[in-house]
Amino acid sequence: MSEERGIRILYIVGAAAMSAFCLLPVAYMVLVGASSRPDVLSAGASVRLTAGHFFEVLGTGSLHFPEYVLNSIVVSGLSAALAVALAAPAAYAVTRLELPGRMSFLFLVLAVSMFPPVSLVSYLFRMMSTLGWINTYAALVLPYTAWVLPLSLWILASHFSRIPRDLDRAALLDGCGRLAALRKVMVPVAAPGILSTGILAFIFAFNEFLFALLLTTGRNARTVPVGIALFEGLHGEIPWGMIMAAATLAVVPVVLLVLLFQRGIVAGLTRGAVKE
Amino acid sequence: MKLTFHGISKTFVSERGEVPAVRGVDLTAREGELFVLLGPSGCGKSTVLSLAAGLLKPSSGEIRFDGELVAAPREQVFVSPRERNVAMVFQSYALYPHLDVFGNIAFPLRVARMKEESITAEVARVASMLGIGELLRARPGELSGGQRQRVAIARAIVRKPRLFLLDEPLSNLDAALRAATRTELKRLQRELAVTTLYVTHDQTEAMTLGDRVALMQDGRVLQIGTPRELYEEPRTPFAGSFIGPSPMNLLPAGVFEEKGRLYLRMGEEAVVLPPGKAGEVRRLATDRVLLGLRPEHVRISGDPGPTALRGIVVSAENLGRERLVTVDTAGGILTVLTDGEAPNEGAVVGLELPVDTASVFRPEDGG
Repeated sequence: MSEERGIRILYIVGAAAMSAFCLLPVAYMVLVGASSRPDVLSAGASVRLTAGHFFEVLGTGSLHFPEYVLNSIVVSGLSAALAVALAAPAAYAVTRLELPGRMSFLFLVLAVSMFPPVSLVSYLFRMMSTLGWINTYAALVLPYTAWVLPLSLWILASHFSRIPRDLDRAALLDGCGRLAALRKVMVPVAAPGILSTGILAFIFAFNEFLFALLLTTGRNARTVPVGIALFEGLHGEIPWGMIMAAATLAVVPVVLLVLLFQRGIVAGLTRGAVKE
Repeated sequence: MKLTFHGISKTFVSERGEVPAVRGVDLTAREGELFVLLGPSGCGKSTVLSLAAGLLKPSSGEIRFDGELVAAPREQVFVSPRERNVAMVFQSYALYPHLDVFGNIAFPLRVARMKEESITAEVARVASMLGIGELLRARPGELSGGQRQRVAIARAIVRKPRLFLLDEPLSNLDAALRAATRTELKRLQRELAVTTLYVTHDQTEAMTLGDRVALMQDGRVLQIGTPRELYEEPRTPFAGSFIGPSPMNLLPAGVFEEKGRLYLRMGEEAVVLPPGKAGEVRRLATDRVLLGLRPEHVRISGDPGPTALRGIVVSAENLGRERLVTVDTAGGILTVLTDGEAPNEGAVVGLELPVDTASVFRPEDGG
């Protein structure tokens, strides 16, 4: 029994405990969603496993669940794409140009992101009402973009600052302007970082509740978190089974997204760029 | 193309205040010349290169390509790097990791919107010139240091730049490869006949490659000349000690005249100066000089003559072909390179000083 083996065992035990702690609520969610009765864990309850809630959630027209999923994907996707598209040139400017006070700029941006959303929401509601945008994608996409932009900028700036400066210098000498250097060299080289930033922004927007609750009043732009929260049972009781089934289904797009782009997030893409 | 720097200064502004990196540099690299910028790290040589490339703007002065102004803050002229048509090989190679070798070499041509058939032909041409024709589909990550170096050079020469900039291109290669690549670079530069600025801190590289060499220290150019001029007539003690296979000996000496002949006094001993050197010392108009003696020119002799100095051997190192002998003399510690038999440690020897090939400096010029 070597020390190495001991460390390995500790490592596995630790990882298992951590995973269990994080995944227990998820397991509970899936279990309740797939059970005929919500009191699945109470003693003596006669419960059988069923896919009924899942079909109910997807099939009941009055719940509009598939529409909410689509809304969530569109809103989060647009927000993430916009945020990354705006953050990338900003991160390039912050890391590559000789700007006075760029650190102050970064901290100002960080400070803005510290604003509690609840302090903004009443103003946002008035603004969106005045514009007549309540219940539209724009009412959510614009605030979400602004909300995830600081985070995206910080992450991208850290990715960009790890790209050797000689690379974009080489691009400038090879005939690129600043924008072309960003597009042809920085973005492809930082692609894994950009993808993971986009996914993070997507997940943030996907999970958002408060803005979505107040800026949507109907199913046209309502997103999954709000949609699930507004599920009502037939006789006013809380339909736990359906809520859990819907929550389980809502995880699917995010998991798919991560699995899909995992291949793109290959570490070590910068290998061989410069001699360290 | 002729490259001219006139009174170029560059000051960096940081949180700790203004840091001058280059101070009043004047230099001209002639058409087709391989011009070396030599100096210790931090002397500003890489800044000069970046200024020529247009990656940095000078704080003052003028840079001209063939008489055409490309950077002059006073006239508010600044030509961006992409309009200068200069190519650079970086110390780090700076290959694009997301492109294969073909993509890397083709990059400047694609940016210039050359036709795809011509690009293929051009890439094939330079790749075969550099012996990397087999590697066109490899990624930079799969290449060895020497291969990356060749790709970087290929990318630089493929679009026929007006000016070729090399920033310590050999410093990441191992010794054997370095010597071979050095020879090849020289041949390539002759073949292409492109005006080239070559930055290095290695005096051997400077001496073997350079048509002319500018020696830099503290942001200033100390001396410009052919490698031979720098070796034989260093203008400052720093130039003497930086250039040459081993640093020049610098001995402080007093000057005195007796019966119309000029002597140098070192400790209690004095050596007579031959007429040519005497004139040179007179022109310095000083009674104290630093005598610069190359270790490879000092001879160890049995009996001290009129230009010899007595000393005790402190150490003798065998360098293979030569021996490096350190001798403590009345004038100070002297090192001697000799291919003869090394004397024993502690032995008293006479040193034949090569006074006619020696350099004399004013002591206030440093040392």
